[in-house]
Amino acid sequence: MQITVKIKRFDPEADTRPRWVEYQLDVDPTERVLDVINHIKWELDGSLAFRRSCAHGICGSDAMLINGVNRLACKVLVQDLGNRITVEPIRGLEVKKDLIVDMEPFFDSYRAVLPYFINDEPPPPTERLQSPEERAVFDETTKCILCAACTTSCPVFWTNGSYVGPASIVNAHRFIFDSRDRGTLERLEVLNQSNGLWRCRTAYNCTEACPRDIPVTQAIEEVRRAMLFRG
Amino acid sequence: MYRGREGQWAFVLHRVTGVAVALFLLLHVIDISLVMFGPEGPFEAFLVFYHNWPFRIGLIMVIAAVVYHGLNGLRIILMDFTTWGVRYQKHMWYGVLGLTTIIGIPVLLKVVPEILRGA
Ligand code: FES
Repeated sequence: MQITVKIKRFDPEADTRPRWVEYQLDVDPTERVLDVINHIKWELDGSLAFRRSCAHGICGSDAMLINGVNRLACKVLVQDLGNRITVEPIRGLEVKKDLIVDMEPFFDSYRAVLPYFINDEPPPPTERLQSPEERAVFDETTKCILCAACTTSCPVFWTNGSYVGPASIVNAHRFIFDSRDRGTLERLEVLNQSNGLWRCRTAYNCTEACPRDIPVTQAIEEVRRAMLFRG
Repeated sequence: MYRGREGQWAFVLHRVTGVAVALFLLLHVIDISLVMFGPEGPFEAFLVFYHNWPFRIGLIMVIAAVVYHGLNGLRIILMDFTTWGVRYQKHMWYGVLGLTTIIGIPVLLKVVPEILRGA
């Protein structure tokens, strides 16, 4: 299958602004976009820069804006896109080179919501037991791989880079609704600030973009209600 | 342009109609307040001026904007305060568009003939 791939490239040492570069190549329809850009890097243009690691949708390093939507390059097949493919870096984060963006602001917001288990009570002699029902409450939000596809699809985040963003709220949700955790008040404190979860305008781009099918907007609304109705 | 789906367009329309209605309100406050210069003054002149067809079309759009913004506001309230609202947000958005159109029909029936008649 003959395809044309248009990539938005940027070399900080040579370019003042990003430029589009087109590549023609012959690929199998069942190949993934990641395979395609690997072909380009290995056979056509070794200077192309992008991140990838696992190649199986679990490390979260290759979120890209593919044909106008955020996806993992390793999870989308050429046959589902047709013979014209455009690839851009995800939006709202500074482009370092080609498809590589500076993820630090994203991880800063992630760290800000204390995404780890907090409980100062003395450990019980056995495990901290949790019923299957209690576990089910936050099951979806345990699936996040921190690829940033959601946060960088959010119109609010594009215009305000200090918005904490859907990914952080999802990870706060994962612990706020964990029956064993005791850090809820501290996390809600962080999320209640002016760049916190009230910034969400329910555009649902995050929910559509999540490669793990996490109901992101639903999680945001659940945390909001927890904030409103906490005792 | 990011290829978002229903939710993104619901949000964009909500913002655009919100700003449009706010600007209209500002204009409205200004022209109504001109009545303090007497009934025959600039207030009357504005009323006549507003009868030009571009403003008639503007009137249709302002009504549509108010109706959309109000109904979509209800959709947002349901998403915020019920456990099921988010799941049905697309259905509710199509409902909002449908209702806005239905409510717009009598407006069109009244205003469009007036424009054509040049009234
Ligand atoms: S390369 Fe690991 S998620 Fe795609």
